[in-house]
Amino acid sequence: MTRTRHPRGAATPLVSLVLVLAAAMPLAGCGGPATTHHKPGTTHEEASGSSGTLLPARDESGHRLREVPAATAPTVRVEARPDTEGGWNVHLTVERFRFTPDSTGGAALPGRGHARLLADGRETARLYGAWGYVPPGVRTLTVRLHADDHTVWAVDGAPVQATVRLDGAPATSAPPTPRPSGPATTTATAAPPSPRPSETGRTVTLTITGKTVEPPPSRIELKKGERLTLRVTGDRADTVHVHGYDREVPLSPGVPATLTLTADRTGLFEVETHESGLLLTQLVVR
Amino acid sequence: MTGALLAHGIGSRHDLPLSPFYAYAGAFTALLVSFLALGLLWSTSRFRGELAGRPLPAAVQRVADAPATRTTLRLLGAALALLVLLHLLLGPDDPDRNPAPGALYVLLWVGLVPASLLLGPVWRLLNPLRTLHALRPPRNPRPVPAAVGIRPAAAGLLVFTWLELVAPDNTSTTTLLIALAVHTGVQLLGAARYGDRWFAHADPFEVYSSLLARLSPLGRRADGRLVLRSPFHGLDSTPQTPGLVATVCVLLGSTAYDGLSDNPRWITTLQTSSLDPTLTATLGLLAVVALAAACYGLCAGALRLMDRSLTTPLTSFAHSLLPIALGYLVAHYFSLFVTEGPRTVIMAAGTDNALSPAPPLGPGGLATLQVAAIVTGHVLGVVAAHDRSVRLFPPARAVAGQLPLFLLMIAYTLGGIGLLIA
Repeated sequence: MTRTRHPRGAATPLVSLVLVLAAAMPLAGCGGPATTHHKPGTTHEEASGSSGTLLPARDESGHRLREVPAATAPTVRVEARPDTEGGWNVHLTVERFRFTPDSTGGAALPGRGHARLLADGRETARLYGAWGYVPPGVRTLTVRLHADDHTVWAVDGAPVQATVRLDGAPATSAPPTPRPSGPATTTATAAPPSPRPSETGRTVTLTITGKTVEPPPSRIELKKGERLTLRVTGDRADTVHVHGYDREVPLSPGVPATLTLTADRTGLFEVETHESGLLLTQLVVR
Repeated sequence: MTGALLAHGIGSRHDLPLSPFYAYAGAFTALLVSFLALGLLWSTSRFRGELAGRPLPAAVQRVADAPATRTTLRLLGAALALLVLLHLLLGPDDPDRNPAPGALYVLLWVGLVPASLLLGPVWRLLNPLRTLHALRPPRNPRPVPAAVGIRPAAAGLLVFTWLELVAPDNTSTTTLLIALAVHTGVQLLGAARYGDRWFAHADPFEVYSSLLARLSPLGRRADGRLVLRSPFHGLDSTPQTPGLVATVCVLLGSTAYDGLSDNPRWITTLQTSSLDPTLTATLGLLAVVALAAACYGLCAGALRLMDRSLTTPLTSFAHSLLPIALGYLVAHYFSLFVTEGPRTVIMAAGTDNALSPAPPLGPGGLATLQVAAIVTGHVLGVVAAHDRSVRLFPPARAVAGQLPLFLLMIAYTLGGIGLLIA
């Protein structure tokens, strides 16, 4: 979709000059796709398009809400799976909604737009598709659906969003629970169908003093797929390395460092420090 | 990655400790077999060593003995050695990206086990040092003194296992180049004095391969024919050279130390001892080897007490420990070989950051294989020792005469299984 903005029938040199300029525009660092940048209603102001009703209310980031009837409103559910290198892989399931990265910045059209990830209430990333990644350390993840003009889709004055807790309790959220009558907010913290071993797994605390590891090196028995969090405090700068999983975390003196992993390979693996060459513990994954 | 002190030569995944079920099953089988063997096995010796075997077709023998085959194998060995050397000299100093450490610790050291079991003493045919030596053979080599036997090789094996299990930074290219230089120097100097028969006495890999090949179904009869034979005959023909006991004890002790070095208590001892950890680990390795040897010495002493006419109790039964050592080697190295072996080849083929494939067996399968290997080794050892003792002892004392040996083997086997639980 290329659209040049020169009057038809202009002199040939002018045409070529404009073409060259148009071609150079994306390179010129003005950002954003040139083709949509100046379409009608595509400034960064909220467009007063005909989709829904723009409410005076704003969300935490200052985006205005765009109210639509519940029957035609998009919905979102979110599922988070622990990643083997820490953090979470996030999967969105949307209804009556399409991700439209091409027209972001354009006018709000019903059932189109993108999602934004709010980690512990702070906006951290956008998703232009169903899958995303959240780094470790986030406790609560909220996914909110936005229109192309950055307004927030809303029903009954509340944003269309889903929330999942990433600490402690259930990590995978949202077995498709029957939605309440006001379907705007699908808060997806419902308990999983069957009691499963806690997804953050066990936490093992280790302290290194000189050449002594407290508790002394032993074996941590894990079931395959179990999560383990190692909290290591050293008395010098060092690196903790989990062999086999090849996970590392830097240690600074006196500050506990945390490393979370999913035990997805069976075997006996050593957890060591690199500089001092100490074995801290062994993981026995069956 | 810096070479951590406690890491083994290669491989970041170790086998799981055995569950008590497998351990008890293995130990019980070993005990049962030993005592059944005492009562039920034959009462006159059946193994005829190098006289036994069914000859292979003449065509196979012609191909195997053809000078072209031998030259091809020599060239192959030399080419592989050159490849490893080039990787050591030019490759990155990182065992995750350089295939040379894996080639030494996995493909050569562990790979020689299946290769020798299937094909016989292969390293003698491939040994690049023999090729190097053949370029300038000495004019009139002296004979190797009889008392030397394979003692130099036993020492070499001890040094190699020290390098593999104890030495710090044992996968760094510098360490490996130094080790290779020392090995080459010692072997070539000896060969310059004693001729190429020196390698059969002193090259640790050649002796290791030749001893394991005693259990190969493929062998050479006394008349030079290539034969298919029961591994028992091959085992029976193991030459009783000086140093055989030492070699077998090094093999037993080093695999036992490999098991011990995974034990958290031993690791705590290493880390908290006031001595240097490398020194402590070295002492540990030596102690385990000495313990294996002392047990065997005690047993040989008991045999000598029971029968004064037995003049060489130490070497007469040393061959029966070979299958036990083989069982340990399989139990300790199987999963390393099937995961790190392919990875080394993939790395050598030029893939950077090759992933280690998953072990082909689940934890249960692997545990079964480990226990089966140890118990099979035990059974083969018991049978070999039984046959030797009915040959050496007068019939009246043959059953009683085996008792010390069987107790020794039970001790080794239970110890071996115990180390896998620990």
